[in-house]
Amino acid sequence: MAGKNLYLGVGILIIIILLAGVFMMQGGEEQATQTGETTPAAGQTQEQTQAQETQQEAKTETQTEAQAGGEVETLVIGAPLSLSGKYAKEGEMSLMGALAAVKWINDNGGITVNGKKYMLEFKYYDDESNPDRVTSIVERLITQDGVKFLLAPYSSGLTAKAAPVAERYGALMLSHGGASDKIFQQGYDYLVQILTPASRYFTSVLDMVKAIDPQAKTVAIVYKENEFSRTVAEGAKAYAEKLGFEVVYFQSYPADAQDLTPVLQPLKDLQPDVIIGGGHFADGQLLARQINELGIKAKLVGILVAPALPDFYKNLGEAAEGIVYPSQWEPGVTFSPETTPQGYEWYGPTVEEFIKYFKEVAKERGKGDIMPSYHAADAAAAILFLAKAIEQANSLNPDDVRQAMNDLALFTFYGKLKIDPETGLQIGHDMIVGQWQNGKKVIVWPKEAAQAEPLYPKP
Amino acid sequence: MVDVGLVVANLVYGLLIGIIYGIATVGLNMIFGVLKIVNVGHGAFIMVGAYVTLLLFTLAGVTPPLTIVASMAVGIGLGLLFYYLVIKYLVDAPELATLLATFAIGVLLQEIVKAFMGADSRGFTWNLGNIEIAGVSVALSKVIAAILSIALLGFLYLVIYRTKLGLAIRAVVQDKEGAMVVGVDVDRIYAISFALGIMVTVASGSILAMYLQSGIHPYMGEIYTLKGFVIAVMAGLGSIPGAFIAGILFGLFENLSYVALQSIEGIQPLVLTRSIAFLLLLIILLVKPSGLFQR
Repeated sequence: MAGKNLYLGVGILIIIILLAGVFMMQGGEEQATQTGETTPAAGQTQEQTQAQETQQEAKTETQTEAQAGGEVETLVIGAPLSLSGKYAKEGEMSLMGALAAVKWINDNGGITVNGKKYMLEFKYYDDESNPDRVTSIVERLITQDGVKFLLAPYSSGLTAKAAPVAERYGALMLSHGGASDKIFQQGYDYLVQILTPASRYFTSVLDMVKAIDPQAKTVAIVYKENEFSRTVAEGAKAYAEKLGFEVVYFQSYPADAQDLTPVLQPLKDLQPDVIIGGGHFADGQLLARQINELGIKAKLVGILVAPALPDFYKNLGEAAEGIVYPSQWEPGVTFSPETTPQGYEWYGPTVEEFIKYFKEVAKERGKGDIMPSYHAADAAAAILFLAKAIEQANSLNPDDVRQAMNDLALFTFYGKLKIDPETGLQIGHDMIVGQWQNGKKVIVWPKEAAQAEPLYPKP
Repeated sequence: MVDVGLVVANLVYGLLIGIIYGIATVGLNMIFGVLKIVNVGHGAFIMVGAYVTLLLFTLAGVTPPLTIVASMAVGIGLGLLFYYLVIKYLVDAPELATLLATFAIGVLLQEIVKAFMGADSRGFTWNLGNIEIAGVSVALSKVIAAILSIALLGFLYLVIYRTKLGLAIRAVVQDKEGAMVVGVDVDRIYAISFALGIMVTVASGSILAMYLQSGIHPYMGEIYTLKGFVIAVMAGLGSIPGAFIAGILFGLFENLSYVALQSIEGIQPLVLTRSIAFLLLLIILLVKPSGLFQR
């Protein structure tokens, strides 16, 4: 009897595990090309996957051949992206942004290298926000899929994992979600940054406070304990002190903190004029909520990452009102071919075009009618910068393309793009400042790009 | 050196979060006490409860305290479902089988929720204003969450110590064969105990959601599985009131060690509190390996 029950139990156990596996694959292991037809599952053997990939590639080629009479080749850009796990939100945005840029480039004739036309294809795997997955995916993209140009994964932590692998194989990697400065101090030759580095994240916010309220004196900084947020916090601290502020509180909280009350409690007595900090999405929400709950009054509350996403207001309601955030990009920016600064060259879609392409991609992926966040724009800008550099280099050799990037000064829907030749650090792009006003995000700084006056002091 | 106001504030908040930790561990310990099964999927059930509250509140406008009733019903349903589907066949199986099975159930729940709700971190706002406790301003919703935790514990206590069913449960815990001899249907008692344990766990998820009102996502339970194990081991596996008290101690210790660490220059206190909590666990295990409240 007991033996029979045991067999039955083990049988059911196996079924449950299989079921769980199926669900994990649905959301977790997503792999697709730009056309997105097939989704091979995690548990498949290598032969199966390879067989499918060959089929897939064959399909893409015939399609493009039919389109352009056999003259066109395919250039694959690869990426590990976080489509599940803690960065699922940002990862999905990055993916859709990259796909939108790829689509724009292909619709506008692809890229030309040595007189040959290339259509771009974007190949990505879900890294589950997991550092170990990132390294194996980058390796797989380079060695098995033969990819020479890569987008980095989302977040500085994952980018730091991916960079040494790309470096080892000499594949060129563009960081669109890794704003950390430190990664670029390691001497990597094949890593290039697209977004504003972390150390400059809060400079525009502090500049704004200085400009509209010279009386503001004290700054409190509360940040998530990880590489990215620490660099932001330290950069902000240095810059605040340079501007003449006094940093009265400088504390961090653990990455998976569920309750920030102990860290925030002292702010009730300190009553700083400015509170800045945060980390990523979940903890940024928590920070805003608990500052409000504890009744901490500050003239300005600036939080990283989280307020830039539309869900922020949906989840927080009133508590979100007046919260300020630095942003790499917002859909309301006014960069256009006409406003291209001296020494820069316009390339890529206009802001409106980008939003249009993004919405198409979002619809295809079943995300409904949503606007791109700055994560999407970061990834799209990376694709544009890469495509332009490949054309400029007139070569598919990563070394030549990296060389060409040094002389590139692009102006795009995303703003300025220019890298430091030595380190690959982004030196062209500047942050803008956004704020939640009456349930809407508006750009309040810099003045040239502002849609509204800053709400100051915060209600 | 140490700010008294800050200590009091952390005492109050430590007590409140401790009560939540306590109720969130009771179900884990109850299931172990009766069935001798470690529910590795514990946190996933907490997550389910948080989603019940989130959805009922945001979609139907049900006030969060009432959603606990719905969570209890969901908990009993899930408990019976998984008992008769899986656990029933594994009660006497090797430990590894139950660990794997409950882990799989946890992953299954996470991925089902993710398939329907997405991986976004969600929250809601249920603001009742603040009240003063010992001079510390606390959101009323947090106080209500703590009171409901105690009520839920009281309910469980009544079921176990004041009903015939509870008597049967306790009989099975003491002597399974003996209970069988006097006519207790052990399989049924297992089913009910498992369902009760899951019920408390899912309901604690609702309470947690009410307390934090943010950070609700499919993987939110993992940290509570971890903390739940620490608290359960602290209390002594199987003890229900012990788990609750150990939860409160854990919450207080976490928050107070923060104040202590804060007075040391050049370290980041909140990051270290967790290692301090585990250090506490280590000391307890060295001094009293059976846990604080185990006979």
